[in-house]
Amino acid sequence: MAAIGNDVFFAGISDINRRLRSREFTAEELARAFAVRLAQLGPRYNALALALEQEAIRKGKEVDKDLKIERFRGPLQGIPYGVKDLLSYKGRPTTWGARPYAGQVFDFNATVIDKLDAVGAVLTGKLAMVELAGGGGYRLASASLTGPGLNPWDRTRWAGGSSSGSAAAVAAGLVAFAIGSETSGSIVTPASYCGVTALRPTYGLVSRHGAMALSWTLDKLGPFARSAEDCGRILQAMAGGDSKDPGSAGKSFYYTPQYERPVKELKVGYAAVDFADRAEEPARPAFQTALAALKETGITLVETRLPQFPYGPIASAIMAAEQGSIFEPLITSGKVNGLADAAQIAGLKASLEVPAKDYLKAMRLRRIIQEKLTGLFTQVDVLLAPGRPGPATPLDQPLDRGGFQPAGPAPPGLQGLVQAGNLAGLPALVLPCGFAGNLPVALQIVGLPFSENLLLALGREFQTRTDWHKKRPPEV
Amino acid sequence: MKLTRRELAAVVSATAVAAAQTEPRAPVPADELQIARNRLTANGDLLAQQEVPMATEPAFQFKA
Repeated sequence: MAAIGNDVFFAGISDINRRLRSREFTAEELARAFAVRLAQLGPRYNALALALEQEAIRKGKEVDKDLKIERFRGPLQGIPYGVKDLLSYKGRPTTWGARPYAGQVFDFNATVIDKLDAVGAVLTGKLAMVELAGGGGYRLASASLTGPGLNPWDRTRWAGGSSSGSAAAVAAGLVAFAIGSETSGSIVTPASYCGVTALRPTYGLVSRHGAMALSWTLDKLGPFARSAEDCGRILQAMAGGDSKDPGSAGKSFYYTPQYERPVKELKVGYAAVDFADRAEEPARPAFQTALAALKETGITLVETRLPQFPYGPIASAIMAAEQGSIFEPLITSGKVNGLADAAQIAGLKASLEVPAKDYLKAMRLRRIIQEKLTGLFTQVDVLLAPGRPGPATPLDQPLDRGGFQPAGPAPPGLQGLVQAGNLAGLPALVLPCGFAGNLPVALQIVGLPFSENLLLALGREFQTRTDWHKKRPPEV
Repeated sequence: MKLTRRELAAVVSATAVAAAQTEPRAPVPADELQIARNRLTANGDLLAQQEVPMATEPAFQFKA
């Protein structure tokens, strides 16, 4: 039996796949090694919801049979991965990170799991999350069935939410990649805090069939991985039309960044203030270094502002109205009281009272936002901002009191880009870009709908010039 | 509606189980709900200040 070296747990997908094909180790050995590592180390970060060791080993054996007869299924064949516990996996618990759903079992797989299974990826476990993806507005990192998501870079810090386990598991080398979800920041935030590359796809590009619904018009599924290139390869396997998802765009995705315009021709919209006064002080040197590295790719930075809208309240109104309807049975039955976070419980209860006029107004404003942002993209190719203004917050810091505010007056910059991007269904790529002390910080690049290849081309170019995405947390 | 003793026992038992399942781990203070309601109201007030052309339709996804 071949020993799986520690470097394999942090290797990229192409590298692992090449080593599998060259028989350096078998898929079964790889599946076992990753599954055991996830089961052993996952609890250290409260990242594990459900270990699937036996299933992973069985799948590994299947992959070995395929490889033996040279039935190659692409770069994800034999690659161990995890999914956020909001995706249904046939016959095993799907808790949505919430105590009232601790015993929930579905009799079908989420489409994404079936698609990844078809290309030979090996599911080794389900990963922890903020309860019900945090839609009610949680106060504390502890708002989860599995406890607060701990950051592999510093376990006194939060891993971010709501895809806490997905980001932490990739950062700690417990899976080669993971699937998470975003309604309004749940991929961008944990990827930024944990220092991993992640992609929020265009709304509708990836089927959400079998995923917990929090907001039908905002929910998206996306990958956390080691690099932009890995994200592209995973997205290719995940994407595609699905009649079981009413929001499906009916489009496929092929990872072909080489056919995009040369990076040096790109106009990148940004606001200098986002990397200075609107960034937390310890993060500013890293952001400045990252900007310099980006400039070296030949891009042109263009000072830009977002159209002025109350993006946060608009997104909140939509989420509240939709989640209120989705979770009405939970709320009216009183089972909502079994959740861990008092603010989340109250937020869900109040969500039943959103007036129709507010929801409709928010959805009409959303149409205007979509048009305005499309107009903005006639002046720039992509938008650039910090993923978060600073590094991961301490575990006990209240999360519902508003984010970092600059000391003095500062122009708005691209504030609200996360909510604006989600409202307009835009894709975003998160790229680790340095450290504030011992904690990672990241950039987000946002583009037009279905411009994933452009974002990935820029991300790939950035990552050929930097190695922040290759850094490993201590003690792993 | 008449219930046999066996049916009554089943109902009482099911109610007890449901009550146990729904029992909050910690009581949610009444003002938490008021805070959440106030936030929604403030959101609504902010949205009301935004002007939207009458012809603008909501950004729903619906295909016939």
